[in-house]
Amino acid sequence: MTKKWKSAILGLGLVMPSFLILLVLVMYPVWSSIKTSFTGADGQFTFEHYIYIFTEPLILNNIRHTLTVTILSCSLVLIIAYSIAIYLRFNQSPIAKWINRTYLIPMFIPGVIAVYGFINFYRDNGWVARMIGEEYMPSIIYNVKGLLMINIWFNVPFTTMLLISALQAIPNSIIEGAKDAGANQWRLFWHFILPLSYRTMLVALTFLFMGIIGSFTAPFLIDRNAPQMLGVSMQQHFSVFNAIEQSSSLAVFMFLLCSIVGYFYIYSNIKGSKKEL
Amino acid sequence: MKMFNGVKRAVVGAIIGLGVLSLVACSSGDGQDTSGKTEISLYSSGSKNVEEFWETVIPMFEDEHEDIDVDFVFVPSGTGGQSTMDRILAAKESGNDSGVDLYEGSLEDILRGKEDGDIFYPLSSENVENLDNVQDENLAGANDLAVPYRASSVVLAYNEDTVTDVPETAEELYDWIKANPGRFAYNDPSTGGAGSSFVLTTIYNQLAEDAMSIQDESIMEEWDKGFDLLNELAPFMYKEGVYPKKNQGTLDLLANGEVDMIPAWSDMALEQISKGLLPESIKLKQIQPAFTGGPSYLMLADNGDEARKEAAETFLNYVLTLDVQEIVIDEMYGYPGIKWDLLTEEAQEKFADVMDGYRIFNGGDLSSKLTEQWQKEVAAQ
Repeated sequence: MTKKWKSAILGLGLVMPSFLILLVLVMYPVWSSIKTSFTGADGQFTFEHYIYIFTEPLILNNIRHTLTVTILSCSLVLIIAYSIAIYLRFNQSPIAKWINRTYLIPMFIPGVIAVYGFINFYRDNGWVARMIGEEYMPSIIYNVKGLLMINIWFNVPFTTMLLISALQAIPNSIIEGAKDAGANQWRLFWHFILPLSYRTMLVALTFLFMGIIGSFTAPFLIDRNAPQMLGVSMQQHFSVFNAIEQSSSLAVFMFLLCSIVGYFYIYSNIKGSKKEL
Repeated sequence: MKMFNGVKRAVVGAIIGLGVLSLVACSSGDGQDTSGKTEISLYSSGSKNVEEFWETVIPMFEDEHEDIDVDFVFVPSGTGGQSTMDRILAAKESGNDSGVDLYEGSLEDILRGKEDGDIFYPLSSENVENLDNVQDENLAGANDLAVPYRASSVVLAYNEDTVTDVPETAEELYDWIKANPGRFAYNDPSTGGAGSSFVLTTIYNQLAEDAMSIQDESIMEEWDKGFDLLNELAPFMYKEGVYPKKNQGTLDLLANGEVDMIPAWSDMALEQISKGLLPESIKLKQIQPAFTGGPSYLMLADNGDEARKEAAETFLNYVLTLDVQEIVIDEMYGYPGIKWDLLTEEAQEKFADVMDGYRIFNGGDLSSKLTEQWQKEVAAQ
């Protein structure tokens, strides 16, 4: 009995610090944002800020733009990272070893510095333009193309890392066994590798989605002035237009988008762990 | 097993320790000083150059006035400078000491402080002698509540090598933009004052001369003409309507040679020219009617403490001495707060290109309304 109590207290004690921090640093701000987003100028309950963000063409365009950029970036990052991961898992060539050593580098370059480097590299008379000739240079900076490129730069390393560890967890015996039974490479991929790594892919997708939808620095410095990503628009409403209620309702909306994705993640995890039991 | 218990105890101990740590509130220091020195605080905000300026001036002041200690608190711009103002107001309302003696702020802050309960001490040449030396036009906006100790304005920065017909007036500037597509850029007005001054003056140039001091929202209806002009100019801008972020964004384009002309802050541009960040072919010029600009004000918050008030007045007086004003010119590349004729000829010459003055926008909240409308009507085109 006392032993049980002790371990119960230990368990609670282990959870408490992070729970308290979560309560103070996350729950309270979330709650106060939600409250602000429903408060009118007179202090009464109102839907006007939500009506604003869903009827104002400026914001509607921003929402559309944010979702397009996020979905496009996520797909591109996932395709690239998965290809790299597969290549690194099944290839032992010197090139693969070299990629293996270098693919994490972007993670260690601070965001703002990477963005400035990127701008200097790809702007209309930047390094690339000087190499290929300015007249052949497509418009990349102050354009959505640049934003997609920098999102790939920022997100590929971590996603690749996640996927590689998932692929490495697939035992060689399975692959060899399938090969012995006569499975060709496509069959091997569709029936073994993909099913065994798709849950990690879902995890990676969740991280990607949340990271990109809420990003600020890159869209602020690289994207066009309009339409904006929601993070930029939110900052503008908050500190330039002094519209705190409207930026709160934008924040709540973004939170809802992320929780939908988060729900799928948790749902698939629960399903997965039930299977394991 | 025993070892495991030890580990367990250590873990529990660590958890309890952490818990206690997180409960201990930060103790707040008060302004009391045991050595007989008077301690005053200066709250300022802005860019890096403002911070460096105070870090030079304060030690100089403390050397000369050994009985006064100045505690400098710098709030970088964009990280909630408004909270200092809220803090002074809240302290006044509840009858507490805000801990803020000197506050560097804007015209809006002065007006807000006046409306919301007289939070600043009146300042005149009676308590700050050197206010007599301050330029009259700057003093007018201060309402006897602030010391306009330096100023800067937005000017036109252009590349001498590529621009042959430098515009003299705003109309000529608009014509130049149309005649040179893609060679002019102004920054997104929500991210920096240079672009916002371009937008503001373009709109108010279409209105009556005194419109800039109207704070009534009814004037918003008359903005249309200016916005039409901005939209008309948009296709002739850099990349047919790209407005880089921050004042530095357009300066970078000018330095790279991607554009030939931009509106820029006089102090930023002068500093970057002298440090070689902008090529020497970059010249500055004020057009007529001028872009906006204005002084930076120092206010003296009323905390009901006579000793601190006197010390702060001494400090304000010191800021207006020639020594400090020369630092404003040499290090900050700002316009001095004191009259031009009090300065050396060399210093006067330095500002010859941009001395043509500036207009002060006094529309209060209207400037953020203007930015909002710009985002909807110009950026989203």
